[in-house]
Amino acid sequence: MSALRLISNRTSQQALSNSDYTWDYEYYEYGPVSFEGLKAHKYSIVIGFWVGLAVFVIFMFFVLTLLTKTGAPHQDNAELSEKRFHMNSFVAEFGRPLESQRVFSHQMAEESQSLFHFCINEVDHMNKEKESQKGPNLESNTHFQEVPKSSGMFEEDLHCLTKFNIPNFVNTEQNSSLGEDDLLISEPPIIL
Amino acid sequence: ENISDFSLNITDCTQVVVPEEVFFTVAAAGILENLLILVAVVRNKNLHLPMYFFICSLAISDMLGSLYKTLENIFIILCKMGYLTRHGDFEKKLDDAMDSMFILSLLGSIFSLLAIAADRYITIFYALRYHNIMTLRRALVILAIIWAFCAGSSIAIALFSYEAATVIPFTILFPLMMFFILCLYVHMFLLARSHAKKIASLPSSTVHHRTNMKGAITLTIFLGVFLCCWAPFVLHILLARFCPHNPYCACYMSIFHVNGTLIMCNAIINPMIFAFRSPELRSTFKKMFYCPR
Repeated sequence: MSALRLISNRTSQQALSNSDYTWDYEYYEYGPVSFEGLKAHKYSIVIGFWVGLAVFVIFMFFVLTLLTKTGAPHQDNAELSEKRFHMNSFVAEFGRPLESQRVFSHQMAEESQSLFHFCINEVDHMNKEKESQKGPNLESNTHFQEVPKSSGMFEEDLHCLTKFNIPNFVNTEQNSSLGEDDLLISEPPIIL
Repeated sequence: ENISDFSLNITDCTQVVVPEEVFFTVAAAGILENLLILVAVVRNKNLHLPMYFFICSLAISDMLGSLYKTLENIFIILCKMGYLTRHGDFEKKLDDAMDSMFILSLLGSIFSLLAIAADRYITIFYALRYHNIMTLRRALVILAIIWAFCAGSSIAIALFSYEAATVIPFTILFPLMMFFILCLYVHMFLLARSHAKKIASLPSSTVHHRTNMKGAITLTIFLGVFLCCWAPFVLHILLARFCPHNPYCACYMSIFHVNGTLIMCNAIINPMIFAFRSPELRSTFKKMFYCPR
């Protein structure tokens, strides 16, 4: 990279004033740069670049926080009832009605596959017998009460997965996924 | 100093100099921190997982970047003291090698970040099949391919740096990768948000907005740090190629040392964002320091 070499030359030059460059830069040299008649401030690119960068980062932050605060309109009714069914199976023992999930947007529901859904669908594909055994497990799982307090969504998904007793999956998954769950959550998960 | 020798006007942009002590401190901190991560992952068998291998790859590329700066400064000091001339063939080859090391570090950084994002994406969206998709062997193969590609490209770019064509793909790659990584993380973030809402709708749950706020902050920090550390340098390369004689561009290029220091700061910040967030890695560090053998 000629820029790098030129710069390293310049740093060398700062050390020794009588510098004599032999590296060939014939095509590229800092010739006489005239600063006459500048319309804008001479550091305008620097200032403009950093201001633009800061604005972009702040804008991104606000977009992300807006995504967290505002729910979007509604969800598809069919999906809503289906999800509600699965959620009900989790909250059966609490005896309280599930609030309606109008906060979900239709788009969100389609794009972001619920891992609960995924758990259940995957198990459908894998082993139907196990699923029927897991039904009562899910409903009678009193430990699930602790799960929401952990404030981590990936932890809940993992607990959902652990309930399925998928062989050789739980132990290693604990190590790998819990560590990297810290992408979004920095609180330690509760290990059942 | 160069520009002041040549410019016709008094009010020119002199090179902004970062003191060498600062350079060395930042570079040494970066090297040590990343070395620590490598040692920890090697020593702890629990950390022999694809995710940690990708983090190690990032640590290696950060280390290379800091090493480049350190070696360059040592090189300059040796020139100052007269042990090395700047006319010889050996010095030119050394400079070539160092340039390619720096480009290797930059490319390695970008691709490692991409690999980490992809790994997390697969963990979340293909959770049950993750262990079949991302086996240890596949992770090592992916890393080997990435580093072979980066090494080849860096040597090619260093050799052919005189061509204008080398700069353009390089500067296109950077925003493209950034955008792709951003898409992956935003998609993951959206899923996390919908899960948080589901959990929030459970009767006994108490947290929701706070968790997602943390997610937004984390994501912004990660992407913001990456942008702020690398984009100034990439812009410098572009300006140096396309408008070296423009006074505005020349003023931007006078802060090159600051941009270089920013890249080294990225080497220090990256482990904090990625590696130190893992509880397993943190406990390995504690064991290493509190129970030395």
